[in-house]
Amino acid sequence: MPFVKDIENYKSLSIVGLEKNTGKTECLNYVLSRLKDSHRQIALTSIGIDGENRDQVKQTHKPEIEVYEGMIYVTPELYYRKRKLVSEILDVSTQQTCLGRLVTARAKSSGKAMISGPANNKALKELIDNLHKNGVDTTIVDGALSRKSIGSPAVTDAMILATGAALSANIPQLVFKTQYIYNLINIDTVEKTLGDRLIDIDNGIWAITPDNLIVDLGITSVLMIERVKEKLFGYGTRFFVNGAVTDKLFEFLKNQKQIKKTEVIVRDFTKIFATPEVYYSYIKRGGKISVLQKTKLIAVCINPVSPDGYNLNSDELKQAMEEKLQLPVYDVKKI
Amino acid sequence: MQLKSVISEISGLQFMVENLDLKSSVGKRFLLDTYIMQSANQINTELELVQKALHIINHKENSSLIDKLQTRLLHIRDINGSIRNVGNDIILDDIELFEIKSFAMIVQEIISLCYKYDQNIIDIPDLSGIVNILDPDKTNIPSFYIYDSYSESLSQLRRDIKKLKSEEFDDQEEKNRKLDTLLTKAEKLEFEVRVDLCKEIKRDHNNLEKALHNVAHLDIIISKALQADKYELCRPQISEEVTEYKALFNPEIKDNLKKQRRAYQPIDIKLNKSVCFITGANMAGKTVILKTIGLSQYLTQFGFFVPAKEASVTIVDKVMISIGDEQSEHNGLSSFASEMVKIDKMVQEAQKKSNVLILIDELARTTNPVEGRAIVNAVANILYENNIRSLITTHYSGLSNQCRKLRVKGLDKDIKAGEINRDNINNYIDYSLIEDEVGVTPHEALRIAQMLGINEQIISKAQQELIVVSDKVTDKGN
Repeated sequence: MPFVKDIENYKSLSIVGLEKNTGKTECLNYVLSRLKDSHRQIALTSIGIDGENRDQVKQTHKPEIEVYEGMIYVTPELYYRKRKLVSEILDVSTQQTCLGRLVTARAKSSGKAMISGPANNKALKELIDNLHKNGVDTTIVDGALSRKSIGSPAVTDAMILATGAALSANIPQLVFKTQYIYNLINIDTVEKTLGDRLIDIDNGIWAITPDNLIVDLGITSVLMIERVKEKLFGYGTRFFVNGAVTDKLFEFLKNQKQIKKTEVIVRDFTKIFATPEVYYSYIKRGGKISVLQKTKLIAVCINPVSPDGYNLNSDELKQAMEEKLQLPVYDVKKI
Repeated sequence: MQLKSVISEISGLQFMVENLDLKSSVGKRFLLDTYIMQSANQINTELELVQKALHIINHKENSSLIDKLQTRLLHIRDINGSIRNVGNDIILDDIELFEIKSFAMIVQEIISLCYKYDQNIIDIPDLSGIVNILDPDKTNIPSFYIYDSYSESLSQLRRDIKKLKSEEFDDQEEKNRKLDTLLTKAEKLEFEVRVDLCKEIKRDHNNLEKALHNVAHLDIIISKALQADKYELCRPQISEEVTEYKALFNPEIKDNLKKQRRAYQPIDIKLNKSVCFITGANMAGKTVILKTIGLSQYLTQFGFFVPAKEASVTIVDKVMISIGDEQSEHNGLSSFASEMVKIDKMVQEAQKKSNVLILIDELARTTNPVEGRAIVNAVANILYENNIRSLITTHYSGLSNQCRKLRVKGLDKDIKAGEINRDNINNYIDYSLIEDEVGVTPHEALRIAQMLGINEQIISKAQQELIVVSDKVTDKGN
């Protein structure tokens, strides 16, 4: 698997599953096993889950990850106490997560541990920077694409996507859905000067005027968009939407006469929760989209086996995927 | 009375506490938990420490020590819980042991820094014993795990686990079973090591506790000294009889004025063990004086320097303040009623001849002037009879003759019409206090209202009203 060499060139990498059981953990375990002999310092963490969700805290279905001797890993106190390896504590954070403070430790032996991490982007970015400052070359982030987490894997420099039969048991469908995510990941970033000004805004919908002024439209959610139609175009046709973008917004915008000039700016691709059909039709009508943060997709892993036992033809799937995506594709069961 | 319970009584106190550059969370906790000091000895000991730190700050060659100490203090965690666990024979886990180790290492760094500079602010117990226990390999790095060197059998077991993991097994289940057995054994051995470690640490328990306390105290002392330096505060002398301030100022207001590039006019004031009225026009800063005196009293008794050029402060058991701007609609009382409830408590203390400082802002201002003045004089006389150190600000004339009166000079310069407006009026007011024998409060309310640009009709109608009143008075006189 050649992309492992690639990984060492990035300060941070996230591994993201498009659905449960698409082989993310296998993929992560594989990447780590290949990196264990690397001369570079590797750290491992994950995106934590929002504290509001109590069930998520109680559930400990979280798969254990094999951490190799010499690697650094970051996980909350609660998980740290359940580790099955010898490791040396390097730091304990002052901030609390819902599973306790974050412990940074270096593995003194190889063994399994449950990994979680900061729950939001800012803390995750700070953690990666901090690890980097303390000698870590590459931080691997066990990512998640979900509305439950405010943390987004898009803050990492590079990304590996895990997809598979669990997402769809039909090869063309699976390729189509994966390609959609691939397209979203490749959305261009907005010009840096504007992006720097938008990055710290943390709510609402904002308009960017032709003179580059940023105006709060006073709309808290895209769900209310139809009620405030006339407000929307008062300051131009470029919008920064802080939260999630859904079909509703694209449906609305694509049917307006300004569509050819319309641009929607989102924080990163994980904020787009629209269905592929609506998204593509918005783009076809001339609508534009851009992001503040972009990550580089370096490989796709496939898991041809679905949890209900359905088995896709691995070679066929791999070939179809590579053709569409122009990226290296690997079967997690074979690597 | 703890600092945290009085901090909201005077806005200035909150300002001073929030402005302290405390580096550790444990420093913050200790500060808020401090009790008000009532012995001159105690206060002087604390002030002496602040003075010592201030001396280091102002000494060129040593000032970098403060920076370095603060950097170390920044890394101090509040490990109170872990220390308590040590005392209670609870076996600590790796995370707690890590915390104790890194704490002990920072403490050792602080000690050696002070030694290097040959400056000692507070004695901090030596924790090298704990560092030695928790750093068996002498790495001198504040990281921790149950090191192999703690137990030969644990070390052997870890090697076995490693070997087993690298072995190929036909039956994966069997490998896992074997691995599990070894891991459980290792866990047991680690636990035994921890038991021993905790036993050894417990011998130093008192030192650990004291070190946490004194490190927090060091943080507080340094931040108090830095604040004294920044705001040009002075060390109050503890006096038996008289409380006296030279060039007293309110740091919060001075700070705000400074931001607007305006100057603050400090005042001199002397308070005997008796009642003193402060009169003066509106906007003359009477409330500020009252608040600043209350603030300085608290600062002194919590071991801070005070905002003045010179200060001597008499210790009191309690500061009692009634300031009209705090509304208390919450308890269902009118502003007059809630004021009277407060005054009642003050009078009760006065009648017990307690050693209190009583500060009342515009007593009985929310009721009619005839009864208001009567209440003011009644309260003042009770305080006078019981020799209570107290300050009462008021607009009423006809004040009790036996009480001392101070008046804010106010607007006594000749001013051309239209020269003063809302924005510059403060520059024309002379805030200094003068002894006032007559006790007639100045009638400047309308003049000031006019300067503030209040509706002309109000002014002219009020003036007509005044003429009518004074005519009536003259009629009667005739």
